[in-house]
Amino acid sequence: MRLPDSVTGSFLVVLGAAAAYGGWLLPPVPGQPVGPNVFPLVIGTGLALCGLAIVFGIGHSFEEEEELIPLEDGQAAAPPPQGKLYGLRALLPPALLLFYVLAADRLGFIITAAIMVYVTSTALGAKWKLALPLAALSPFAIHLIFGKLLRVPLPAGLLPTPW
Amino acid sequence: MLKTLLDAFALISTWEVIVAMFAASVYGLVIGSLPGLSATMATALLVPVTFYLSPIAAIATIVAASSMAIFSGDIPGALLRIPGTPASAAYADEAYAMTRKGQAELALGAGVWFSAVGGIAGVLSLMILAPPLAEIALSFSTFEYFWLALLGLMCATLVARSSPVKAIAGMFIGLLVSCVGIENPGGVPRFTFGLTDLFGGIEPIPALVGVFAVAQVMRAMLTPEPPPLPRRKFGSIMAGQWKLTKMYHWQMTRGNIVGIIIGVLPGAGADMAAWVSYAMSKRFSKEPEKFGTGHVEGLVEAGASNNASIASGWVPSLLFGIPGDTIAAIAIGVLYMKGLNPGPTLFTEKASSMYAIYLMFIIANILMIPLGIAMIRIAAYILLAPRSAIMPIIMLCCAVGSFAIGNNMFGVVTVAAFGVIGYVMEANGYPVAAMVLGIVMGTMVEQAFVTSLIKSDGSILPFFERPVAAILAAMAIGALLWPVMVWVWRKVKPPQAAAATSR
Repeated sequence: MRLPDSVTGSFLVVLGAAAAYGGWLLPPVPGQPVGPNVFPLVIGTGLALCGLAIVFGIGHSFEEEEELIPLEDGQAAAPPPQGKLYGLRALLPPALLLFYVLAADRLGFIITAAIMVYVTSTALGAKWKLALPLAALSPFAIHLIFGKLLRVPLPAGLLPTPW
Repeated sequence: MLKTLLDAFALISTWEVIVAMFAASVYGLVIGSLPGLSATMATALLVPVTFYLSPIAAIATIVAASSMAIFSGDIPGALLRIPGTPASAAYADEAYAMTRKGQAELALGAGVWFSAVGGIAGVLSLMILAPPLAEIALSFSTFEYFWLALLGLMCATLVARSSPVKAIAGMFIGLLVSCVGIENPGGVPRFTFGLTDLFGGIEPIPALVGVFAVAQVMRAMLTPEPPPLPRRKFGSIMAGQWKLTKMYHWQMTRGNIVGIIIGVLPGAGADMAAWVSYAMSKRFSKEPEKFGTGHVEGLVEAGASNNASIASGWVPSLLFGIPGDTIAAIAIGVLYMKGLNPGPTLFTEKASSMYAIYLMFIIANILMIPLGIAMIRIAAYILLAPRSAIMPIIMLCCAVGSFAIGNNMFGVVTVAAFGVIGYVMEANGYPVAAMVLGIVMGTMVEQAFVTSLIKSDGSILPFFERPVAAILAAMAIGALLWPVMVWVWRKVKPPQAAAATSR
C-alpha cells in the first residue's frame, strides 16, 4: 500500500481545504468573535500546507528506513506470493468487522464470531484442523469473559449461549 | 503524608486489585512476548475490561500490563531475533548475538533485572517530579495550557523517526478527528454529516484500538509467519546480574535518566528511549567495537531506559492530561472514565489515589522479576501458538471490546475505519503516534485556544504576556522551527552533517 508522496500529499491538501471550508460554513456564536469555526479553519489550513510540502518533497530527506519490526531478516528466502489481489488481503480484517456490525444482531454473537475467526485463521494460513476447533471454541470463551463476567450485552441471535 | 500512604495501601490491598494486577501481569507478559503484538496494543485491548473494575484496579491492570509487556518483548528478541514489541527492536540483534554465543541466560536475565530497576527509577521520577510541577501548574491559565499542549504536539512530531512534515500532517489529522461532534465552543454539530452517531464525537479508545490492533492484524495478512522458537534448557537466569549491576552502574543510571526524560516528552515512548539509549551506550562505551557481537553493555542501558520511560510517561499525563507516550494516552482515557480527571489538583484532592499508583508501579516492577523468570522458562511453549490462532482472537476482542465501550455498534465501525487509516498511514511513513496524540489532545487544545482567544478579544499579544506563557511559547515555536534549521544546516554543510547523523 505504499503510495507515492504526491498522491498522499494531494489527498491531504484536498482534506485540509475541505476541513477549512467546512469550518468556514459553521455558524458563529452571536456576539463573539471566535466560535466553533476557528479551530477547523486553522487545522484545515495547516493540513493543506503540510500536504503541499509533502507533494514538493520537503522533509523527505528526514525519512529513515522502515524500522517497525525487522521481520524479514533471515527468512526472506520464501517471498510471499505476489498477485494483484494479494494486497487486498489486508482489507479482510476491517471487512470482517463491518460484517460483524451488519450480521451480529441477526445471527447472534456466537455464529458471527465463529465465521470471523474461521475466515481470519484460514487467511493467515491455518489448516482446517486448527481453524475449525478454534472457530467453534473461541467465541464461547470470549462470550464467557465479556458476556458473562463483564456483562456486555452481546446479541443472542439464532444460537443463544447455554448460560 | 503517612496517613495518605496508609490510605493508599488500603486502596491497593483489596482482592480485586491483587487479582487484577496479577492477571494483567500474565496477560502483558504473554502479549509482549508474541511478535507483532505491542505493549500499546496490549493496553488498548485491556480498556474495555477496565470499565468493569474499580478505578484503582483499572489503573493497576494498565500499569502491570504495560510494564510487563515492555520487558517480555525482549524474550523473542533474544531467542529469535524478532522483537516482541517495537521497544525491544533496538537491541534485538545484540541479544540474539549473545544467545548464539551461549549467553541466552545472561541476556534475558539482564532484560528482566534492568527492566525492573529501570521501572522503579521511573516511578521515583514520577514521585519526585510530579508534586512540584503540580504546584507550578496550579497557576497556569488557558494561555499556558495552550502553549503546553502545542509544545507537546510539536515534541511528538520532532521525535518521530520520520519526516517531520509527515508527522505534523499526522498530528493535524488527529486534531481534525477530534473536531467531529457537538462538543465544541458553539455546541453546533460539526463535521457530523447528519449522522447521529457522530454527534458524540469519535471516541479516542476505539480509534486507538483500530490504529494499534486492527492495523497490526492487517499487516499480519501480508507478512510471513515468524519461525517457531527452538526449545532449550536455561541455566540460572539471575546469576551474574549483580556483577553486571556493579560493573555497568553508570550505564544503568544513564539509561534510567535518558528513559525518564524521553518518557516525559509527549509522544516519545519506550521504543524511542531504547533506540536513543542503545546508541548512547555505543557512543560512550570504552569498547564500542564489541557492540553487535553479543555485548551486554548496550542491553543494560537500553533495558534500563525503556522501562523507565513507562512510568515517567505518566508525569505529563497526570498533571496536564498530555500523554507522555501512546500507552499513557490510553491511560488518560481510563483516568477520565474513572473520575480521576488529570490535572494539578489530582495531587491534592486525590493524593491517596496518586500514592496508590506509585505503589502499584513499584509492586509491578518487583513482581516482574519472578514472573519474568517464569515467563522466560515457558516462552518456548507460548511462542508455539501460531499466529493464525492468535490474530483471530485479537479480532474478536477488537469487535467485542469496541462494542462494549458504548454498547453500540458504531464503536466497531470506528475500529474498522481507524484500522484502515492506521494501516495506510504507517505504510506511507506517516507516524500514527502523532495522530493518536492529536486525537487525545484535540478537545483540550481547542478549548485552551478558543478560550484564550475570547479572553484576549482576538488579539494575539496576551498569548505572550505572562512569563511562563512566553517561555512555553518560545519553546513551542523553537520546536516548530527546529526541522527547518536542521534542513538549512544540512544544505549548508552536506558532508559532515551526513556523517554526524548516521547512527
